Amino acid sequence: MLPERAVLTAQRADLGVRSAASLAERLRERYGDRITGAFTLPARAARYAAFPDDLGDGVRRALAARGIERLYSHQRESWDALARGEHVVVVTPTASGKSLCYHLPVLETVRRREGKALYLFPTKALAQDQVAELLELNRAGDLGVRTFTFDGDTPSDARQAIRLHGDVVVSNPDMLHQAILPHHTKWAQFFESLRYVVIDEIHTYRGVFGSHVANVLRRLRRICAFYGVSPRFVACSATIGNPREHAEALLGVPVQAITESGAGCGERHVVLWNPPVVNPDLGIRASARSQSTRLARHAIRARLKTIVFASSRLMVEVLTKYLKDVFDHDPRKPERIRAYRGGYLPTERRATERALRAGAIDGVVSTSALELGVDIGALDVAILNGYPGSIAATWQRLGRAGRRQQPSLGILVASSQALDQYVVRHPEFFERAPPETARIAPDQLLILLDHIRCAAFELPFGAGERFGGESADPFLEVLAESGVLHREADRYDWIADSYPAQAVSLRAVADGNFVVVDRTDGRQTILAEVDYSAAALTLYEGAIHLIQSQPYQVERLDWDGRKAFVRRTEVDYYTDAIDHTNLKVLDRFDGRRAGAGTCHHGEVHVVRHVAGYKKIRFYSHENIGYGPVNLPDQELQTTAVWWQLTQAALADVLPSRQQALDGFLGAAYALHTVASLRVMAEARDLRQAVGSGDAAWFAGRDGGGRAQWRAAAGTDPAAAAFNPTVYLYDNHPGGIGLSEPLFAQAAAILADAQALVADCACTAGCPACVGPVLAMPDAGPTPRALAATVLRLLAP
Amino acid sequence: MSALADRLRALAAQAGSAVPGRSPDAAPTATADRLRALLAGRQRRSRVSLAAPAGRMLAPGVQDVAADHAWPAAPTVRLPWGDHGEVARERLVWFDTETTGLAGGVGTRAFMIGAARWHGGVLRMRQWYLTALAGEPAMLAAFADWLPPAAILVSYNGRSYDAPLLKGRFRLNRLPCPLEGRGHCDLLYPTRRRYRGRWENCRLATIERQALGVVREDDLPGAEAPAAWLSYLRGISATPLGRVLDHNAQDLRSLVLLLDHLAAVPAAA
Repeated sequence: MLPERAVLTAQRADLGVRSAASLAERLRERYGDRITGAFTLPARAARYAAFPDDLGDGVRRALAARGIERLYSHQRESWDALARGEHVVVVTPTASGKSLCYHLPVLETVRRREGKALYLFPTKALAQDQVAELLELNRAGDLGVRTFTFDGDTPSDARQAIRLHGDVVVSNPDMLHQAILPHHTKWAQFFESLRYVVIDEIHTYRGVFGSHVANVLRRLRRICAFYGVSPRFVACSATIGNPREHAEALLGVPVQAITESGAGCGERHVVLWNPPVVNPDLGIRASARSQSTRLARHAIRARLKTIVFASSRLMVEVLTKYLKDVFDHDPRKPERIRAYRGGYLPTERRATERALRAGAIDGVVSTSALELGVDIGALDVAILNGYPGSIAATWQRLGRAGRRQQPSLGILVASSQALDQYVVRHPEFFERAPPETARIAPDQLLILLDHIRCAAFELPFGAGERFGGESADPFLEVLAESGVLHREADRYDWIADSYPAQAVSLRAVADGNFVVVDRTDGRQTILAEVDYSAAALTLYEGAIHLIQSQPYQVERLDWDGRKAFVRRTEVDYYTDAIDHTNLKVLDRFDGRRAGAGTCHHGEVHVVRHVAGYKKIRFYSHENIGYGPVNLPDQELQTTAVWWQLTQAALADVLPSRQQALDGFLGAAYALHTVASLRVMAEARDLRQAVGSGDAAWFAGRDGGGRAQWRAAAGTDPAAAAFNPTVYLYDNHPGGIGLSEPLFAQAAAILADAQALVADCACTAGCPACVGPVLAMPDAGPTPRALAATVLRLLAP
Repeated sequence: MSALADRLRALAAQAGSAVPGRSPDAAPTATADRLRALLAGRQRRSRVSLAAPAGRMLAPGVQDVAADHAWPAAPTVRLPWGDHGEVARERLVWFDTETTGLAGGVGTRAFMIGAARWHGGVLRMRQWYLTALAGEPAMLAAFADWLPPAAILVSYNGRSYDAPLLKGRFRLNRLPCPLEGRGHCDLLYPTRRRYRGRWENCRLATIERQALGVVREDDLPGAEAPAAWLSYLRGISATPLGRVLDHNAQDLRSLVLLLDHLAAVPAAA
């Protein structure tokens, strides 16, 4: 029965159009009220350049076999810059032939037996893609280039052959960090002839991960210097706001940025889609899921090759099922819809990639796994089920639709989350905003300490030796004190019986990860890992820990052993920690006036105390109980940006302290939302807090979402001056460099927050603007109005 | 600069990493650590006078221990592994290293190289060990110089452990590696072939006791060797390092005996 109904639905979904352009037009006619923004990027003609004279016949033959008779201008530019001895970063859209920018010089160099190359990709799928391409070029041109993948799956008996005979070794930063650099003497022949280091998708190396990778590359350069080589770096990136700056921070060398793509593309239509309101009283909208499915049906009916991006693996499965119910209900016919995500077998993913390239399937539903440069050919329509979290990732996903000659369509379907609603209601922001800048903080003290430890294992340090521009001496001192280094005259040597790279994960500031152990039916298997910083908030005893939406209850937390023991359970609620944050300013780096108040950035000391937890019923979100938590306080010394209003500034406008606090908490929520957007931060990397400037009191929300304040131990808040302050702080010890750019852009962030609050469709405040408001104040202004007032006072 | 070092310590503790002596419940240990550090510091100052346990100084940072033992044996021997056939005993170099640990990677080094050669009824043993890290190139060079032109190496698990480790050290010190291209008879393989499953394991200590009847007295377990050397290097005590020398010398003598044992007992046994 279901398939028949589905067929009917599918027929209804046929809008009678056969091109992406007319689909875009028909959608605008039919669903104008759901489309909050639509714009068109004009078609661009291709720009070509001749092959360089010194490109050998073999490589030319290999290119000819693929139908390439000339280069795109950016491919030639990159060749020329490398020939001049420069390092380059290539920033061009998906499917612009970016990889030839590095394959060409590498293949030519290897063919002439003049050197070897190391390729680093963030994921295995990408690495395999490029290996396949190199093998194909090598075969076609009979170049004699030996390409190998070196990753965790490489069998140990193959490793020696790769070290000795690999011309191009394709790996990832984690393997370079844990397996190659700590064994560099085994790789001596490889390093001695290393000419090129290729690092693709560098926009994924940001934040903590990027800061680690930058240090791994510092170690790589140190080892290269030992073997007397200085390889050229070729970096590639999706469109970000600061490709050259980011590449230079990551690689530690000056680079030439190549940003003009020579590849042509057809006209591109972009539509921002907000699901219709289904309950005007509560401001509830139809789900993004249902809208994305409907749009995908329209597109596939119109014979347009379509990709749907979803944020989670679960959502990929759900959307795939909905589409298969419509298009794949007849088992005798070939499949038209496929899912693609991490967790599938590589062979299955390769099969899907091939089917996409060949145009054999009509629709694919994917996680971010297909956001990066995996070759899947050109598609007509990209539908994004939810905002991916950054402008850059949005363009990257939209860019999956786009053919050389024909028009394409990209649709961003907003979910009900704050960030989604902000983006979709501000089409001008989306259309005009430059993509986010990628930030790293390679000199973050703990990350630096980790990598100086690893570097000292690889080669001894001389006193006064620099690592990434800074003198390594204080770090070496600390390491010598802890007994892992031995100082002799002016040299520090590794002396401990340990392998430091093993203990340093590139994905975290420090190795304090908790493992979640499943005790169900005596299994004792590891289910998940949780960052040290998130453990106190999610793994307290009694917590419901959700994994793939399956609830597990934490039975025991072994804090020192970094383990949480959980058991599968059936409950109709989830838990939310009640935590109090105390924050004290240690040092002000810089400050300025901000409207009637001030704005600063500096170093802060944060103490988080988890007092207990709430049990919250699914769907109704009612509070059905509390539980106690007994955990040590979490201390954190980090950097922050903060805005402050004095009692005097508030006196005329917001005389009630309750109202002022409600306003500050709402403002903090809105500032956090827009600031995350600006600095491309994961929500958990940046946190907000409201308190006094002198740590005398702090404000949190009660069960109804209203502000309540707490005095710090030993202080009387009534006696203290009332100078409420909103803080945004880096949630990592030592900070990861978020607060400085936030301070620099403070005025813009404040304006964004004002717009977010002013333009929201709700009445009193909602999760899309100032945070959930469950209990309305009996009289007086709404929390949303109060937040707007606070933001206005702080606006320049 | 030390302020930065202080900050580093505090941050490391906040990040949940196990920094020595920072967790609050370990306060007494922290005090003890500080005391130990003070004591070690005092001894470190007197370190120049901490005498090396044996040998003569070959170069700054390297001690050289030489000993000859009367060792009657046939001038040729059939190697129990590889295709060398019958070879002159004078070509053989038995060797065994003591290392700073088993962690692997470039950070692990040999602090002692023991080697033995046979010449006209005499077993000549040499042991070189580091009294300072700066002595490493001189130690490696001394070992390389001592190898005869057509040397065949004999070891126990040396093909996968000692030799690659030494190769890495030669490379790191930018010295040509004398092990490259040499014949290498690793006695672990023929021992395993013959005795696998007969005793609890095939470690040299087990084999020498069961097959050779060697009984060690007051032997320092191999696993304690790294700590013994560190204790000397840090100027705390020279005694344990002396025991490492004895242990290493016994390993070498057992190796020499084991070769003849394996060569004498027919493979079918």
